[in-house]
Amino acid sequence: MPKSKHFNVTVRVWRQAGLQEPGEMVSYSVKGVSPDMSFLEMLDILNDDLLKKGHSPIAFESDCREGICGCCGLVVNGDVHGPDEHSTVCQLHMRRFRDGDVITVEPWRVKSFPIIKDLVVDRSALDRMIAAGGFISINTGAAQDANAIPVEKDKAEEAMDAAACIGCGACVVSCPNGAAMLFVGAKISQLALLPQGGPERNTRALNMVAAMDKEGFGNCTNEYECEAVCPKDIKAANIARMNREFLLANLFSKR
Amino acid sequence: MDITFIKRLITTSIGRKAVMAVSGLLLGGFMLVHLAENLLLFKGEAAYNGWVDLLLSNPVTPLLEIGLLFIFLAHIITGAWVRLEDFLNAPSGYEARNWQGGRTIGSATMLYTAAAILAYLAYHMLTFRFTDHSMGFYQMVTGAFRSRMFTAIYVTGSAALALHLSHGMQSAFQTLGINHPKYTPLIKIGGILVAVLMTGFALISAYYLLGIDLKAAEAGYQVVIIR
Repeated sequence: MPKSKHFNVTVRVWRQAGLQEPGEMVSYSVKGVSPDMSFLEMLDILNDDLLKKGHSPIAFESDCREGICGCCGLVVNGDVHGPDEHSTVCQLHMRRFRDGDVITVEPWRVKSFPIIKDLVVDRSALDRMIAAGGFISINTGAAQDANAIPVEKDKAEEAMDAAACIGCGACVVSCPNGAAMLFVGAKISQLALLPQGGPERNTRALNMVAAMDKEGFGNCTNEYECEAVCPKDIKAANIARMNREFLLANLFSKR
Repeated sequence: MDITFIKRLITTSIGRKAVMAVSGLLLGGFMLVHLAENLLLFKGEAAYNGWVDLLLSNPVTPLLEIGLLFIFLAHIITGAWVRLEDFLNAPSGYEARNWQGGRTIGSATMLYTAAAILAYLAYHMLTFRFTDHSMGFYQMVTGAFRSRMFTAIYVTGSAALALHLSHGMQSAFQTLGINHPKYTPLIKIGGILVAVLMTGFALISAYYLLGIDLKAAEAGYQVVIIR
């Protein structure tokens, strides 16, 4: 295998000491970047360098680094989760960049996700919306036989597609209005499509939408930027399903 | 009596959007009927004035006008509310920020086209509704359209309306939860078609500005679109 050619880049990154502190973009040069490195590994190398020099490392969030946990989330050169379509930023590799490139790295900038430090934001608003109704609390009993509860194949597929949401918050950040409709739509859909989610569908829709409004997310203007960036390719049809669930619950439930 | 379900139409994000969507669809329907009415201009003075007289002599018309006013107000108020909240919540402060292809010219300019349509509506009301009708409606309308400034305003207003509806129609269905792979593509095409039809107002105005009716009459033709 030919040896990959190492190169140098300049990283312009948001530095902010803490919550409510003022922040600024700071430039760092990163030398000897391998095209095989992931973007986060490049930041690791930069942080090693900063630590050696006695500086504070850049705070950023990551966990699985295989695109399934939803922890990492950065705006790279103006693109939510970087330039690759339907991908998380941990799956972005340095081969997408060239020697001498200047790369801007910014945190999620939306009111509902306050910046805690540098590139780390507080996404607990998403957790609070789940806590408002994104679960099943009825007693479903012991594990059923595989075919005891009939589920239509198409519905099962759609529910699984909605359940692929990793809660990274990219939909909120990509939305021109800072709305969380794709996230809440996916969480309502994954349960509304299955029989176990049926009994609580009305309270779930009403409570989750109320929680969403309380957290101060924006309104949906159906521009589908969220759908375009979602790393799990969650469809805006889930937003329509949430609207349907909410409007029907408002009209036909006792609550 | 529990009126929480009515309150939710005002107090929740999806409720407000639903009011905006229903009123928007009703207004879109009204615009199509209004366009059809105006095509009567081509049938001639007697036909057009006859239709207007029929409308004005109908006791239900004032009630429909009040209903239309409320629909307009509901659309404007919920629309302004939604956009104000969105303005306050919009992600901001980025050094670099790219859109990923979800936005269209229509969707990104909704606020501006809304303002243009409101101005167009105000002008339309002042020049056609709250004015002297003694010369007869046909003469008033065709006379006005022969003015360049008038037609320029109509062309601009109709273009704004078309752009607004190019996003608005499909958006309304999505807001009301009407989305399915079977018919959503048809809804999107239908929305664009309704938007394109809105340029009809500009074309009618331009028709009289260019004096096509007079030229045709001179040449001995009678332009009849509706028999």
